[in-house]
Amino acid sequence: MKVFTILGARPQFIKAAPVSKALRAAGYKEYLIHTGQHYDYGMSQVFFDEMGISVPDVNLEIGSGYHGQQTGQMLAAIEEQIVAQKPDWVLVYGDTNSTLAGALAACKLRVPLAHVEAGLRSFNRTMPEEHNRVLTDHCSDMLFCPTQTAVNHLAREGITQGVHLVGDTMYDAVMQFTTIANQSSTILQELSLSSKKYLLATIHRPYNTDNPVNLGNILAAFVETDELIVFPVHPRTRKKLIELELAGQKSFSSNLKLIEPVGYLDMLMLEQHARLILTDSGGVQKEAYFFGVPCITLRPETEWVETVEAGWNILLHQTWDALYTLVHNNVWPEYQSPIFGDGNAAEKIVAIIGER
Amino acid sequence: MKIMHIVGARPNFMKIAPIMSEMNRYDDHFEQVLVHTGQHYDRTMSQVFFDELELPHPDINLDVRSGSHAQQTAEIMKRFEPVLLDYRPDWLFVPGDVNSTLACALVAAKSSVPIVHVEAGLRSYDRTMPEEINRILTDHLSDMLLTPSRDGDENLLKEGIPPQKIHFVGNIMIDTLVRLLPKAQSRYDALKKQYELQSFILVTLHRPANVDNDETLQGILEAVHEIGRHAQVLFPVHPRTRSNLAKSEFQPLLRNILLLEPLGYLDFLALQSAADVVVTDSGGVQEETTFLGVPCVTVRPNTERPVTLTQGTNRLVSSDCQSLIHAISDSLSSVSAPDRQVPERWDGKTASRIVQIFL
Repeated sequence: MKVFTILGARPQFIKAAPVSKALRAAGYKEYLIHTGQHYDYGMSQVFFDEMGISVPDVNLEIGSGYHGQQTGQMLAAIEEQIVAQKPDWVLVYGDTNSTLAGALAACKLRVPLAHVEAGLRSFNRTMPEEHNRVLTDHCSDMLFCPTQTAVNHLAREGITQGVHLVGDTMYDAVMQFTTIANQSSTILQELSLSSKKYLLATIHRPYNTDNPVNLGNILAAFVETDELIVFPVHPRTRKKLIELELAGQKSFSSNLKLIEPVGYLDMLMLEQHARLILTDSGGVQKEAYFFGVPCITLRPETEWVETVEAGWNILLHQTWDALYTLVHNNVWPEYQSPIFGDGNAAEKIVAIIGER
Repeated sequence: MKIMHIVGARPNFMKIAPIMSEMNRYDDHFEQVLVHTGQHYDRTMSQVFFDELELPHPDINLDVRSGSHAQQTAEIMKRFEPVLLDYRPDWLFVPGDVNSTLACALVAAKSSVPIVHVEAGLRSYDRTMPEEINRILTDHLSDMLLTPSRDGDENLLKEGIPPQKIHFVGNIMIDTLVRLLPKAQSRYDALKKQYELQSFILVTLHRPANVDNDETLQGILEAVHEIGRHAQVLFPVHPRTRSNLAKSEFQPLLRNILLLEPLGYLDFLALQSAADVVVTDSGGVQEETTFLGVPCVTVRPNTERPVTLTQGTNRLVSSDCQSLIHAISDSLSSVSAPDRQVPERWDGKTASRIVQIFL
């Protein structure tokens, strides 16, 4: 059996790594297509290196561009690959333009399509990812859901066939790579950080970073927390910071430690030793939960409502004044229940596609 | 209010024409731009429709032409994006279920331009039809969904589309038909003379499932050939069917059939309204025959337009030769069913209902 894996952006490398491993273990041939959506070394190659994912069989080298142009180019290029290689399955991950392009190409050619991390909804249509999610789900033959909530979302859209609750492959990845991270990462020493004595922040969403006023307000709120905040900066955000010349302002750098984007293993270290995580990323919210680290999500909504319902995640948007109180006075829960499966999602996925 | 309309392929033209014409009546309210993606580009498939339907000359032609599904969709997206971002309409109107429909809707959704899907909610529940994917995805990208029949509303609700986005406006194609039927019928005498028509059967086929598989096509042609021994058969040939019909093994089966070039809207409508039976795999023809009360034999295992079966003159038949002969003979011999009716809001006033929403 030949399986196409379509990857393009950072979170997908993490989601795919455990599945790649399980595919190899089952003796299936995986053909890896990197669309090139995230293209610099820090954002991409480092993940392949650290996670032992095989080098992509082909890199389509489609970099940034307008959404339509980027998705269109990927669609045409992926179709060519499918026609040439005739895979038995196409696997797509998450909710990026690469996901949608792979899904459309497979669906139009009637090649069986599986969506890993299916059924997520933020119900915010202004997020480009939301369209990608909905459309990919409606294209897919097999839908692998990380949570029961996701299964319920699909049912509400009339999708019940081919739906499997398998758990979250990102949880698989955390289980597999935390030990390695603990042994090999030196990021805490490099940054002179002590466990539970700092906060970790990541922001990259356009509505938080593209508007100078919003970005300025968020950074001001970070400063006001008076906590040491480690802040790996996404290339997009760094660009904005430079544009705003905010990075150079002394007030912002007093307790903010701006660092280059880090690889997966270093990120796992930074996450598990943080006292609290501030993020607008979907994956980081989950990883915070996996490590039992409280999370404040800088968004008006989340696809991971279970973490909010469990009390481990709090949504905060625009009312940035409240950040100080949340950081200093909020009482976080002491216990967690497993929401994201048992760490064997990848094996279940491979077993299910192997049955067809 | 700035409105941008998309057309790409033949079935789109008669859906956008009545909307543009109705909006023109309120020209202090609407500023309209027409974009032709160029998906159908030869004269018989495109220009003649603009002339006959009195569609304005497209403001922009993206001139994409043919390609595989993905290539064509990709090319439309690439070329449409700058056009959309340059004009920034308040609403983008996309009709039907062709690649242009989906490609332009995708670009608009990514740029947060609100989308109106004209002819929303149709489902064949057959995902081997490329149009089915285009329909589902366009519906899920759209901010306003205009349905031709109540089953469309039900399909959308079943997929979790919020009811406030759905508007049952009726069948927009019927607006064009109602307006142009007298003109079409006035051309019938000339056609009758030209083709020496008595009673006749009209055939149209273009779906890959019917014309790309030699065995299937053979079965259909054998049936039509057999019928053609006793009745006159007219077959205007879609460009994508032409090359397949040219194969030598089919030539003996074409002897009793009058093959025609693709017809314009008016001539085709004139022939449809006068035919004894129409044999088709087209979506629009199923609806037009239902409105006209002409028996229709649809060579498909399913239809996304079930009211044509439950209320209209349509029946579904497999491509198997004997079933087809039986169905056509049956339709020829029986008078149309007495309980046949024109579906709700297929009344020529759909464009007016649509425009009222935006006033």
